[in-house]
Amino acid sequence: MNIFSDINFAFRTLIKNPKFTALTVFVMTTGLTLCIYMFSFIQGTMVAPLPFKDGERIRAVDMIYNGMTYQGTSIRVPDFDDLKKRVQSYEVFDAYDIGTVNLSTNDRAVKYTGHYVTENFFKISEAKPLLGRLLTNDDGLSGAEPVAVLSHTLWQSLFAGDADVLGKKLRVNTKPTTIVGVMPDSYQFPDAGRIWLPYTTTGVGVERSKSDYVAVYGVLKPEVTDEQANAEIKSLMAELEVKYPKLNSNTSARVWTIQEASMGDGTAVIILAMELAVGFILLLACINVGNLLFSRATEKGKETAIRTALGAPRSTIVMQMMWESVLICTISGVLAVLISGLWLEQSNRDLLEAFPFDPPFWWNMVITETSIVAAIVITLTTAFVTGILPALKATSGDFNATLRDGTRGAQSKSAGRLSKVIVVSEVVLSCALLLLSTGMVYSVHQQNSIDYGTTIENIFTVRVGLPEAEYKSLEKRQQYYQNIISSLQAKPEVADVSLTRTLPGNWASYENIAIDGVDYGKKPQYPSSNSVGVAHNYFQVMEVNLKSGRVFDSRDKIDSPLTAIVTENFVKKYYKDGDVLGKRFKFIETDQDWYTIVGVVNNVLHGQPTSLNIEKPTAFVSLQQTPKRFVSITVKTVAADASTVVGLSDIVTSVTQKIERDAPAYDVKTLRASIEERNAGMNFVSELFLVFAAASMVLAFSGIYGVMSNTIVQKTQEIGIRRALGADESDIYKHFIIQGIKQLSIGLVIGVPMGIALVKMLEQSSLAQGSLMLYIVIPALISAVIFMAIYYPVQRALKLEPCSALRYE
Amino acid sequence: MKTLIKLANLKKVFSTDEVETHALSDINLQVRQGEYLSISGPSGCGKSTLLSLLGLLDTSSGGNYTLNGHEVADINSKQRAAIRNKEIGFVFQSFNLISELTVAENVALPLTYRKDISKTQRHEMVTAALEKVDMAHRTKHYPSQLSGGQQQRVAVARAIAGNPSIILADEPTGNLDSKNAELVMSLLDKLHAEGATICMVTHDPRGAKRAERIIEVFDGRIVSDSIVNSDDIEEAVA
Ligand SMILES: Nc1ncnc2c1ncn2[C@@H]1O[C@H](COP(=O)(O)OP(=O)(O)O)[C@@H](O)[C@H]1O
Ligand SMILES: [Mg+2]
Repeated sequence: MNIFSDINFAFRTLIKNPKFTALTVFVMTTGLTLCIYMFSFIQGTMVAPLPFKDGERIRAVDMIYNGMTYQGTSIRVPDFDDLKKRVQSYEVFDAYDIGTVNLSTNDRAVKYTGHYVTENFFKISEAKPLLGRLLTNDDGLSGAEPVAVLSHTLWQSLFAGDADVLGKKLRVNTKPTTIVGVMPDSYQFPDAGRIWLPYTTTGVGVERSKSDYVAVYGVLKPEVTDEQANAEIKSLMAELEVKYPKLNSNTSARVWTIQEASMGDGTAVIILAMELAVGFILLLACINVGNLLFSRATEKGKETAIRTALGAPRSTIVMQMMWESVLICTISGVLAVLISGLWLEQSNRDLLEAFPFDPPFWWNMVITETSIVAAIVITLTTAFVTGILPALKATSGDFNATLRDGTRGAQSKSAGRLSKVIVVSEVVLSCALLLLSTGMVYSVHQQNSIDYGTTIENIFTVRVGLPEAEYKSLEKRQQYYQNIISSLQAKPEVADVSLTRTLPGNWASYENIAIDGVDYGKKPQYPSSNSVGVAHNYFQVMEVNLKSGRVFDSRDKIDSPLTAIVTENFVKKYYKDGDVLGKRFKFIETDQDWYTIVGVVNNVLHGQPTSLNIEKPTAFVSLQQTPKRFVSITVKTVAADASTVVGLSDIVTSVTQKIERDAPAYDVKTLRASIEERNAGMNFVSELFLVFAAASMVLAFSGIYGVMSNTIVQKTQEIGIRRALGADESDIYKHFIIQGIKQLSIGLVIGVPMGIALVKMLEQSSLAQGSLMLYIVIPALISAVIFMAIYYPVQRALKLEPCSALRYE
Repeated sequence: MKTLIKLANLKKVFSTDEVETHALSDINLQVRQGEYLSISGPSGCGKSTLLSLLGLLDTSSGGNYTLNGHEVADINSKQRAAIRNKEIGFVFQSFNLISELTVAENVALPLTYRKDISKTQRHEMVTAALEKVDMAHRTKHYPSQLSGGQQQRVAVARAIAGNPSIILADEPTGNLDSKNAELVMSLLDKLHAEGATICMVTHDPRGAKRAERIIEVFDGRIVSDSIVNSDDIEEAVA
């Protein structure tokens, strides 16, 4: 027989057994779809290099402080200047700054994030202006004419796409600035910018402790590895730590890709977890399909033996079986590419909706050539695994023994062993996978339902930034606070108003502190705390409970001694005896006076609800004592749910507009929305794992049930024999249940620790959370499936009279 | 001797897909303890069905079956299992050994369903049974590693391991060559000599000649029932 007739034969076999074909194709498609989707997702979001010539070598350099990575403008300018002089690993090592800028034309004012950049910034990101020119290093020299490059969006919104915009003026933070260029809509680096201004941030003439922070990036030399670059930056930062113990204590830095940085600290672990999960699912699919093909091959065992006896070479028989699995896997592979393509498109749309920011420009979640190649490789591998192994196994037996076998009907011994191995591996895989995915889903659920320590649903928020020049005076800032609170309070929809530097759920500044009376030695390892400035009525408006002492009041004036109100975490961490009122601490960096603790309130969660953040201490300080230009206004609505109040954002923005034209409101949304946006990424990943959990459950449970019940059906005759020998029904159940328990225990003994280990691995990045309940429920669920897979087939077999069971073929 | 088996107007009808097969009709038969019974007849006449009913592997469609003084119809399935286990030993044409179990385990199988036998007792009984069939040297082998004759000897050992009062053999030599058939038949002779009641289906005249009593079945009915001695066996079979 030649190949074509082999394929033809395999094809006819598949068509003749539509149920079998549909089942195997379904199982394989599920496994392959998840695999290809995941591959393209990881490839498209994290692995593929930035789409520039040197994209593969572009890195972000971010500060690590107290073990946590801070991204973006995280490196102090003098540190950057020192590093720039000494680093050897880079072709380009440069910085840019990010700042909120107030833009005003003659008729309107808006607030956007501006990028202060050098020539390098545009060069490595291959920027080409749509109109005019890019910024040069000369633009940044002192005394140069103030210039700006606009984004396509701003060009449209501020100048209605005016073709003669070049040379026109715009007030940037009240400074008249000439527009010299417009960028195309497609330009994003490292995220979507609105306006680019010359980099003028400098450490020269600025006290080290007062200096600004900048974002640092670089292009590695071709021969330098990430390990080398990281080792270098760490050792240089360690030297700075020795040189500036006070400022740089607990400070280091890391070098990573912009893609990694955008996904944050836990990226590597998430990717590993995802890869493991899809790997397991694919393995489950392969096992199931392989088993289906194999049990059919054994059913045809006699036929095969006869054909071998008649002289058909083994290779011919193996090839015919091979073609069947190649056909099944190819059909599944094509379906999987189509389905995962559609699914990726859907995910793209979902992410656009759910994410609080535009997805990064390098995200390319589509089926690319790489994913097609991967799909082909994966498909062929699975075809091989699911085809060749069962075929070899089915033809490897002594055909003479098969023909002679007096123990007819019963499974051959090795087939019996194989089905046990299959059940054990399905238990292991499904157990590990279910523990992992439910652990992730559970942690997201826990995090979404977590108590932030404040009221949430009836809070509406906007952020404002007072222009620097006009609000140098602290009294003016206080005046503004006063105005904004009383004007908003006058609105009928509004129950109360307060102010905070940092909303619950948002990142608070996490600062090194020193507790009065503690000697931190020569190489200080300072403790740290969130620092959050609030208006005096904040605790009352946000329903934060006072535990002891007092809240801020009129005693806390701008010229009276500094006071602070700390959370219970703070007390637990730094005042073990609980005696805290009247004690003092100070913030190291700002090196101000001592703060006296006057009150203790319940914990308020800042940042995402990870265990690290949940345990962080927080010190609230008075905005009256240290008035800041950037604050969030928290508006408590009369309605219980702020999202139901119609026109609230218009009311709030018009009030802010009226009080200070140059401080437009931004980030206008309910507090709930702002928290949910922050958790969007985590929710997305957890939803993905929910799909994994469902897929693994369907595959593993149907697989376990299929294998077990098939084993039992094949043992119908054995059941007849046992009954003839005097086994009653309970003996038969007992026999199979003991066998099941053996396989189950082996599976659980491997699978449960494996799953718990995976959960623990993710727990460190707060991506999963184990719970005793899950550790009990999941194994119980799997055990229930095993028992059902034993009980029902045995019950059916027992319905036969023993003599019919004996005749069963 | 005491009557062990008493069948009165026993009937068996198989109904499948509108086809009714009257496998057995009006069977009347008494078997006394210690008898050696041979059942013969053409293929499909109902011999195996009769043996299944005798061995409580199936239920009749009518008539009465009294086993050891008990009405079988009144016995629940648990008790039936216990009777099969203690009182009856089966030997099948196709041996029906369990391929995953060793020779010793196969033989021990019926004993494992008894609560009253200790492990050591069981071991002794298995060894004794295997010695009787001359297979004690193959205890650790699996059935597939044995010849057909050896497999059937193991099956016989399994049937007798629990010292049943009745041995039911359905064409025990049907799958064996004449040499092995002879061996198995002489085994049954020996068991009979030791007091076992044997009901054996066979259409091998050499097998039948060993029995004391020959039942002939035709189309689901007993058409002849004759006590014989070895001298006039040719006539009985003819
Ligand atoms: N489970 C069954 N279902 C339907 N018909 C059966 C069944 N078992 C036996 N028969 C029929 O009953 C008759 C007697 O069968 P059997 O006792 O096996 O014959 P023998 O053993 O004498 O060759 C045959 O016609 C057979 O087809
Ligand atoms: Mg028969």
